[in-house]
Amino acid sequence: MTELQKSPLDAAHRALDARMVEFGGWDMPIQYGGVLQEHRACREGAVVFDVSHLGTVRVTGDAAFEVLQQTFTNDLNRIAPGRAQYTHLLDPVDAHVVDDIIVWWVADNDFFVMPNASNTSRLTEALSGTGVVAQDITSSRVVLAVQGPNARKLLRMVGEDAATVGRFCVTSFMFSGVECVAAGTGYTGEDGVEIHAPVAVARNLWDAILEVGIQPAGLGARDTLRLEAGLPLHGHELGEGITPLQANLGWVVRFDKGSFRGSDALLAERDMGVARILRGIAIEGRQPARAGAQVFQSGLVVGEVTSGNFSVMLGHAIAIGFLKPSVEIGEEVSVDVRGNLLEGKVVALPFVAKH
Amino acid sequence: MDFPAELKYSKEHEWVRTEGDEAVIGITDFAQDALGDVVYVALVAIGTEVEVDGNCGEIESTKSVSELYAPVSGTVVAVNDALVSNPELLNTDPYGDGWIVRLRINSSVGTDALMDADQYRGFVEA
Repeated sequence: MTELQKSPLDAAHRALDARMVEFGGWDMPIQYGGVLQEHRACREGAVVFDVSHLGTVRVTGDAAFEVLQQTFTNDLNRIAPGRAQYTHLLDPVDAHVVDDIIVWWVADNDFFVMPNASNTSRLTEALSGTGVVAQDITSSRVVLAVQGPNARKLLRMVGEDAATVGRFCVTSFMFSGVECVAAGTGYTGEDGVEIHAPVAVARNLWDAILEVGIQPAGLGARDTLRLEAGLPLHGHELGEGITPLQANLGWVVRFDKGSFRGSDALLAERDMGVARILRGIAIEGRQPARAGAQVFQSGLVVGEVTSGNFSVMLGHAIAIGFLKPSVEIGEEVSVDVRGNLLEGKVVALPFVAKH
Repeated sequence: MDFPAELKYSKEHEWVRTEGDEAVIGITDFAQDALGDVVYVALVAIGTEVEVDGNCGEIESTKSVSELYAPVSGTVVAVNDALVSNPELLNTDPYGDGWIVRLRINSSVGTDALMDADQYRGFVEA
């Protein structure tokens, strides 16, 4: 087994008695106190996640814009420098989602392209030989996600420019005399800011954020939060065999911008209609239905759960999974959890609306 | 971590408190800490006969599901219904309000095979 990568903030997490977990080849905090408390703190106050396990590939060069337009599904013409965009990298043959990515358009011909932990090499492979400079700068920085209704108010005391960055906007700011980058993005369904900071100031920035009363939260709460927000996780709702259209993320795909990696296969699927689509299921009772649980309607299998857990804010179990398109929102289904059939209802996502 | 001296302990991290010919069963402080926040508990029906190491419930945290194994054999005479709506009692009070099931012991072996608090502490710290 290869050794796990460690965050530059590893010592800070251990000093807080964090419980650690392997995630995408990294040794990261799953919780500090408890998942449920950290979850509520994000919905009601403010928390900070160390998400340095995300990759950062810095893409520069005269061809950067054109190459990213042809590589990803979303349309950079809809944004501009100083903005961020959620997008997908597709397989060129079958259009499955190789990775879901946030692009921070930092300046003209300068992009921070941020893939999932384990997918950085797939991204650099996709960009090799295209004429751009694609530099993996993951190990040079930390990424901190400050999230929650009080996130910006508290973050003001750390960095005014970071705290006031607009939703899906990107700005640079100075911390301890060092240039950092902030974006109004996140993965919790709450308002918040994500900060990209050089390793040299990582510990000071982390300490400053905790100092103003923002509490640390781990990947456990990050997962239950994103589930309530109906956000997909690569390896569950995205990945091998799953296209953006099946994942109900058609808005991430802009066919009108011209051809891109995987667009032919995806157009074919669009014209045929998808065979399955990602839906939310609100389940009666608290028992979680986990990935792999089959979904039934009138005694027939109509789909499968890809992620499920107890919803902290709703007080009952919730799940997302792929269902036959004929199963409509509002219809009743049952979910088989180890032979126990749980009653559920197909609902629109997100489960918990943005505050 | 807290391992009360008056209880007996199993290798599956349950505790047993003997009261006459009955045994009250729950999970240890070590077990609740390892599981993380408990969000769901499945209880067995009153009257169920359970053997040693047989299934007598299911505990699910935000992370995973675990079976509860009977540390003694007996007949279920009571279950802690409060856990249905407040499963977090397993985390906040594992030896008190977080008790899970009460059995009438029906074997002469009783709790003889279980560990005392010192032995259990040694077991989890090994």
